[in-house]
Amino acid sequence: MTLIEKYPQEVKQILARYPQDQKRSAVMPLLYLAQRENGFVHRRDMKDIGAMLDITETDVASLVGFYSLYHDEPAGRLRIQVCTDLSCALRGADDFLAALCESLGVEPGGTTPDGLVTVEPVMCLAACDKAPLFQVQTGAGLEYHERMTIEKTLEWIESRKEAAS
Amino acid sequence: MTDRVTLTIDGKQVTVPAGMLVVDAAKKVAVHIPIFCYHPKLGSAAMCRQCLVEVGRPIIDHATGHPELEDGFPRIQFSAKLETACTTLVSEGMVVLTQSERARKGQKEVLEFLLTSHPLDCPICDKGGECPLQNLTMAHGPGKSRFLFDEKHHAEKQVPLGELIFLDRERCIQCGRCVRFQENVAGEPVIGFYQRGRSMDIVSFSEPGFDSVFSGNTTDICPVGALTTADFRFGARPWELMAAASICSQCAVGCNTTLNTRREARSDGQIVVKRVMPRQNEQVNELWICDKGRFAGYHYTERDDRLLKPQVRRDDKFRSVSWDAAFLQAAEKLQDAEKPVFLVSGRLSNEDLFNLLQLADGLGAETLLYTNMGGGDLTGMVGLTSGSNLADLGLGDVILVVASDLQEEAPLWWLRIKQAAERGAMLIVVNPRETKLEKHADYVVRYAYGDEIKTIQDMNKATHKIHKVFAKAANAVIFYGSEGLGLEGSSGLAGACTSLLVDTGHYARPNNGLVGVWQRANDQGAWELGFRPVKDLQVIFDKSEVVYIVGADPVGDGAVRLKKRKPFMIVQELLSTDTVGHADLVLPARAFTEREGTYTSGERRVQRFYQAVPPRGESRPDYEIVAEIAARLDTALEREPGLVMDQLAEHIPAFGGISYLKVSEVVEQWPVINRSELFYGGAVYENTQGLGMQLRPAPVTSFPVSKGKGGLRPKEGLLLAVPVNKLYDQGLTVLSAPLLRERIGELKVCMNPDEADRLGFENGARLRIGLNGNNAKALLVVDPTVPSGILLVPRSMGLPIFEAGMPVLSKVRKKVTG
Amino acid sequence: MRFGEPVLELVRGMWITFKSIFERPVTVQYPEEKRPVRPRFRGRHVLHRYENGLEKCIGCSLCSAACPSDAIFVEAAENTDEARYSPGERYASTYEINMLRCIYCGFCEDACPTEAITLGDNYELTFTDRRDAIYDKDMLIEPLPAGSDELTPQKVKPGVHTRAVPEMKNPDD
Repeated sequence: MTLIEKYPQEVKQILARYPQDQKRSAVMPLLYLAQRENGFVHRRDMKDIGAMLDITETDVASLVGFYSLYHDEPAGRLRIQVCTDLSCALRGADDFLAALCESLGVEPGGTTPDGLVTVEPVMCLAACDKAPLFQVQTGAGLEYHERMTIEKTLEWIESRKEAAS
Repeated sequence: MTDRVTLTIDGKQVTVPAGMLVVDAAKKVAVHIPIFCYHPKLGSAAMCRQCLVEVGRPIIDHATGHPELEDGFPRIQFSAKLETACTTLVSEGMVVLTQSERARKGQKEVLEFLLTSHPLDCPICDKGGECPLQNLTMAHGPGKSRFLFDEKHHAEKQVPLGELIFLDRERCIQCGRCVRFQENVAGEPVIGFYQRGRSMDIVSFSEPGFDSVFSGNTTDICPVGALTTADFRFGARPWELMAAASICSQCAVGCNTTLNTRREARSDGQIVVKRVMPRQNEQVNELWICDKGRFAGYHYTERDDRLLKPQVRRDDKFRSVSWDAAFLQAAEKLQDAEKPVFLVSGRLSNEDLFNLLQLADGLGAETLLYTNMGGGDLTGMVGLTSGSNLADLGLGDVILVVASDLQEEAPLWWLRIKQAAERGAMLIVVNPRETKLEKHADYVVRYAYGDEIKTIQDMNKATHKIHKVFAKAANAVIFYGSEGLGLEGSSGLAGACTSLLVDTGHYARPNNGLVGVWQRANDQGAWELGFRPVKDLQVIFDKSEVVYIVGADPVGDGAVRLKKRKPFMIVQELLSTDTVGHADLVLPARAFTEREGTYTSGERRVQRFYQAVPPRGESRPDYEIVAEIAARLDTALEREPGLVMDQLAEHIPAFGGISYLKVSEVVEQWPVINRSELFYGGAVYENTQGLGMQLRPAPVTSFPVSKGKGGLRPKEGLLLAVPVNKLYDQGLTVLSAPLLRERIGELKVCMNPDEADRLGFENGARLRIGLNGNNAKALLVVDPTVPSGILLVPRSMGLPIFEAGMPVLSKVRKKVTG
Repeated sequence: MRFGEPVLELVRGMWITFKSIFERPVTVQYPEEKRPVRPRFRGRHVLHRYENGLEKCIGCSLCSAACPSDAIFVEAAENTDEARYSPGERYASTYEINMLRCIYCGFCEDACPTEAITLGDNYELTFTDRRDAIYDKDMLIEPLPAGSDELTPQKVKPGVHTRAVPEMKNPDD
């Protein structure tokens, strides 16, 4: 099922927002749309969007790759993204990531068996001074959890689990 | 403000146009500022930070507006931080220090950073030996790294980006040259960056992978060994290769190339071509070549079925004979025949063609050019003349492309026209279906197949918008092709184009004229020398006694059907084609890699190629074979290509003034690239062997009035098969390249979806197509850009098609197995 | 001249001969017996293997580039996990040394990034034909090490031997 078949109304609305010669600008909202259902953008949808906007699939894919909030693979419901770039690492972010993975029993990039949490390292989240930190998307929107410790993080995950059940 | 500024770089004073970058200005005085991401053809990105230099500017006294002086010299203030030479524009009185302690320290530290993640596998890297990173590390790098060795970035090695280009992600330094080349130069962004920071990768999501006809060029400009070509993978180390200048023989653009050769054990100790590299010629191909030239450039010359000995047919079997016997027989047969026919093709060099012409003259023979496309008499009269360069076209000029899918037929012309359009030249694309050039066009004119000539004739009416555009334009160039057209149609089209050019005054001066998009490298040269095609070759074969066929395969192409009574066929060829199979006398010729010669490109530029490898077997160059035959008929012809050219220049007015000395002249080109430093222009070869020379304007005052009709027109309810040209076809010159097999694929015909529905065929159906008595199986591709009523049939893909015709289609029944 | 002088000289000469009877002989009964070489002797080249039997040579051709007498010819090809000759992507499909050209300088040893080639102890290089002086890879490569029974090419597990040059060590360690 193509994107336009799935969301005819939304796609039309998004495309209408941009002038015809600038229609490639619609790529960002369309990607969000594509990601809505499964939490990641399927390869098929990238192709669709490219065809709709007259840009190559590679162009669409590189946007998905660039932004940490577009995903190209399915993951757990909570995608905990930890920045491990140099300045964060100097404040202990890579140790934090390693410890978090160990306590959850997953590899970096892996998902817990219950399918709730995915931990993945990402590139710069623009908050070096508050490292170690992670970003996560919840129903309430994008959350930054700054100056984190393992205990605080696990506590937060527990609270989410309770909220979920 | 003056438009030229004077600055000092490392103590050397240089005056350059305002708006130039410091890195380019430095190049003018042979100061090589280290760079990775900057490339003179790609512009600045400032991604690698390697070009850090110290920049000082004169302090301006606000009261007077003049520089403050100190001891009579302007006072210079150096900026607090180092600046990137690839983004800093030159300014008056600027002082640049590239070798100061601060600048050197900056460069060294950037290099140290780059190397933190670069694997040290230079010994197995194909770039090792011609690698900018290697060279700059030797020149500027630290002897020792302060980073942890065990924390290097590791990634999966050798990721194929397609079947032509391999990516080694560890080696990538993320300079983005390849991505920017595809985006800005090739205009096909089929590779891109994925993710960020250290995890950044180059990816391709196209189908097939890295789907661009210019993909090979990214490996030349890649400053590390991240991108390498599949055909040269571990082929040889760069320092072991010998280099010979050559000209690409695959199309009429005439790209300058360098053939890298090496003696090889796996080729039984023969010296073979290992790769084709572009050679700089800013008037022809700049620094680029297309993938057809790169990956199929020479393979056909190394086929196993190369003809190695003269052969004669006796009792229906081929017997090898001595050259002497072969020459003698050829001479006798040619002399005895009443009116022998010479059938030649544009694969031959100017020298071969001239000797053939001389021999034919002596014998009173008929000389025919083997081609499907006409109009060369006109491109000889109103073609581009000396001093033309597509790079000069820009604002105020107009380029019209008609009946040609240029990216498929002549990729480098496509590229140069696209660039001219970007510089402001008006681009008009006139084609019956959508082509890739249209994206860059100002006007797109769509006509129905069959209306080619009428469309251009209509444009030539004084009230027509396009006529007005032409009349106003400073310069105008028309490229015409043969899409959907046979010999007659394309001749007529050339005539109509000529009228448009002549009526608006765009001929016989530089950067104006008509260019034919020929299928062979030297078609233009053959026309210039006076070879002309004939509409019905079959008649010639039916009635002639002796036909001397050189470099053509009329039997294999289906242009001629041999009957019981056939002429005595003398065939001079490289490979055992179908025509050779029916020959009575076979003369093995040398390939262009094994001899010297010149080609005349579609832009009427005579360019010289050199011998790269030793000849195979007993083969001899064409001009020499002809001279030997002539010698046995008491005609003395030159046997040295240079001397043949001198004769040619004397006899053919258009070639006046051309000699090997002249075509080998080189002037300094911009950008200045150099294999000894590699980081500025890439691994492209510099041109030291000649830029070629364009033919003179023809002294013509009257032009034949264009007549002739276009191709067949589609009729209601009937399907019309029209020929189109493909870059990768099943011609022997392309099919011999193993790497391109997948891209060539099988015969695919295209049809409009409505048409397919009407006929009851679905996308991907296997069809049997009958056309003019020939049959072939094909895969149907349903494509909405094809006009209705039309079936696109690519040429040289197994189904002989010379002009539009009525096909008979049927579905191939699936065989029931089991 | 005294009468006894020649006799004296004769006796002195004979004394040296007599003394030698009790010395250890310097002659080596070559070829039955071979003289040991010095530790840094540079004899015929040997191409080495890793303990698992894979060839150390990766076909980089640096030995050939370093060779002052152009005695070495290398041609490379690509390894696969199905048919693996050496670790990494590249191996030498042809490796030839012309022993008549070689001057035994050892530059090839110095140039080799994997310590694949060394000049060995073998000095018995005689030929009856100039062609025989060209040693190919089969003649140069050392036999399989003890404990390994797999000749090259080997079929190996994918993703194990991905790197050609041994992992770089921190020079300060």
